[in-house]
Amino acid sequence: MNLKVAALPLSYRLAVTSRCLAAVLGGYVLAAMASVCVTLLAPMPKAEAVISGMMLSFLFYLVAFLWCFACRSAWHAWWGVLLPSLVLGAINGLAYWAGN
Amino acid sequence: MLAVALFGFAGFAGLCLCMEKHYKELLGRAPTAGRLRTLQIGGWSLLLVALWLAVDHSGWAMGLVELVAVLMAGVTLWVFLLPYQPRLLLGLAALSLVLGPVLALLPG
Amino acid sequence: MKEGFRQAMAWLHTWTGLIFGWLLFAIFLTGTLSYFKEEISHWTQPEVPVRALDAPASLALAQDYLQLHAPQAASWFIRLPDAREPGLSVSWREHGGGRRDFIDKTLDPATGAEIQARDTRGGEFFYRFHFQLEMPHPWGRWLATFAAFIMLVGLVTGIITHKKIFKEFFTFRPGKGQRSWLDGHNAIGVLVLPFHLMISYSSLVIFMAMVMPASIIASYGDDTRGFFNDLFGAPAEVRAAGVSAPLMPLPTLYAQVQAQSPGSRVGWIEVQTPGDQNARVRFSRHAGERIAHQRGGGWLFDGVNGTLQAQSSLEATPMLISGGMYGLHMGEFAGPWLRWLYFFFGLAGTAVIGTGLVMWLGKRQLKHAKRDAQPFELRLVEVLNIASMSGLVLGVAAFFWANRLLPVALAGRADWEIRWFFLLWALSLLHAMLRPGRRAWAEQLSLAAVLWAGLPLLNQLTTGQGLLQSIPAGDWAMAGFDLTALGSGLFLAWAAGKMWRTPVVSKRAAKPAKRACSTLIESEVG
Repeated sequence: MNLKVAALPLSYRLAVTSRCLAAVLGGYVLAAMASVCVTLLAPMPKAEAVISGMMLSFLFYLVAFLWCFACRSAWHAWWGVLLPSLVLGAINGLAYWAGN
Repeated sequence: MLAVALFGFAGFAGLCLCMEKHYKELLGRAPTAGRLRTLQIGGWSLLLVALWLAVDHSGWAMGLVELVAVLMAGVTLWVFLLPYQPRLLLGLAALSLVLGPVLALLPG
Repeated sequence: MKEGFRQAMAWLHTWTGLIFGWLLFAIFLTGTLSYFKEEISHWTQPEVPVRALDAPASLALAQDYLQLHAPQAASWFIRLPDAREPGLSVSWREHGGGRRDFIDKTLDPATGAEIQARDTRGGEFFYRFHFQLEMPHPWGRWLATFAAFIMLVGLVTGIITHKKIFKEFFTFRPGKGQRSWLDGHNAIGVLVLPFHLMISYSSLVIFMAMVMPASIIASYGDDTRGFFNDLFGAPAEVRAAGVSAPLMPLPTLYAQVQAQSPGSRVGWIEVQTPGDQNARVRFSRHAGERIAHQRGGGWLFDGVNGTLQAQSSLEATPMLISGGMYGLHMGEFAGPWLRWLYFFFGLAGTAVIGTGLVMWLGKRQLKHAKRDAQPFELRLVEVLNIASMSGLVLGVAAFFWANRLLPVALAGRADWEIRWFFLLWALSLLHAMLRPGRRAWAEQLSLAAVLWAGLPLLNQLTTGQGLLQSIPAGDWAMAGFDLTALGSGLFLAWAAGKMWRTPVVSKRAAKPAKRACSTLIESEVG
């Protein structure tokens, strides 16, 4: 990862782009899912749970963001953010359904 | 707030001096292990006194904010003056060691 | 990215820092100025006189003025003068006007006479710019919030990358080229870390309802208002009864507030449907009263018979944390000393970003030192570095010069000040493109030094409220601005002087420095 940008192969650049997208977009989805999860499951009054969920979501975003660049490949990055998002989404769905 | 700042400044001076590298640089001789230990304990104790003073004076919320603020300011001053004015800094640390308790004990 | 965790984090630190560094530098610098928003506004409106503070008298004057000029308004707002901003400001909204359709006036707090102050956005401009970036809503806020998130990423990755965080806690070695820059970058980053972390995380918390609305939607569905009502209490929608009744004298209500909680400071005073049977008067608590920010709250009176209305506001832990983050970011609770510390920590944050940008370039320029021309991307970064740092400093100075030099009667004057700000900033970009790097730095910093150091003189010549008058009069907001401008000018002159001198040392030390660089900073290259 030196400055020899021109020397970097296309595949490398695509991988970096893919990781960036995974971090920004995938990380956001994960953070949003996590915030909803905290909100729905936290044993607090509604408004307090929402605040807590929103405040904690950024920590999830942060961890997801770092993960996307720390893991071994771009595919890992995507799996690493999408799989937890799906799980959290499922939990959210159940909690939402049970709550209504 | 000034007393807190002085205690914090002296505390960080102690913590800096308790590192062998800085001790040698600043005082020009090799320290004994016991002296380093004393400096370390002294430094942390001074920081604890600063914490106690701050909380006692302004309560937990405001006290902690003030404490962190003056600690950051003091240690930044220390680190960036260290290469240029080491003697001045040592003098300041000694001065704050004297002036800190005086200010803290003054009524009001 | 295969080299292991620390290397990956160093890579992330380097590249997010580069791409967002320029923007973050501007956000941090203008945000730092915003800690003196009121003082800047005072300086930019020298027509507003400084009077001895007398809250009840000012309130009575404000009420008389509003009674005369806006008896039929839907609501009145009054802000009492304080040591930081001396004007008594009143504003009102007519019936049927939108939420933002205010008419603002500034009054002399001793006589109640309307002051024809020059049209300017003053400190408000820099404050708004630091999170809205003069972009259409909501794009500026989104971008600024994302930049804050990147700052948080930068801090965390920086800590992970920094191997000797405790061992080199007290280390700064000047005069050693890249090594010194890295030392400085690390030291300011680590020593002021609590502030940096607080500032970037709290920026996210401040805009969380905008950028992370998923949990609001999940809990409240479409009823976003319901969420805010739960949080801050439903806004007391007052309907005019249509029966006119005289409003109680506001100083009487103010005395009631003081009797209830002696010594408390009042922020805004809002009067809803003045002159009506159902008038309500709200005294908001001054934001400087406590750290944790609290919306709503304060004292609500029936405006006709003066009875205190019940108030409810949530004070649960999550609200205290989010309100505390908000309050810590704004620093409104800070007295003069703490406010100065806030200002310097803000500058420290700016310096961390600036040194990072300089290092990114310096490290790579060393590799091309032997060749005549540097690659395009390095030149691009160099130009952007110059324009984003010294150019911004020039732009801010241009704003203040425009404030004093533009004719007071000029139409759209406030906009012209902002145009001067952007114009000089753009010119600095052009200049940076035309001149070689070090020369461009030196010339821009010199001009900036002249402009900043010249501000007190300009103030003295154009308003007669320069240091010669403001210090004897004890107007420390005005004098403080001038002295700070002078100090900034001297600092910039020092920096310019360093740039003018040809870098003899670095040439002689080029070889060892290069070697030192490649070994010492290896971990940062990624």
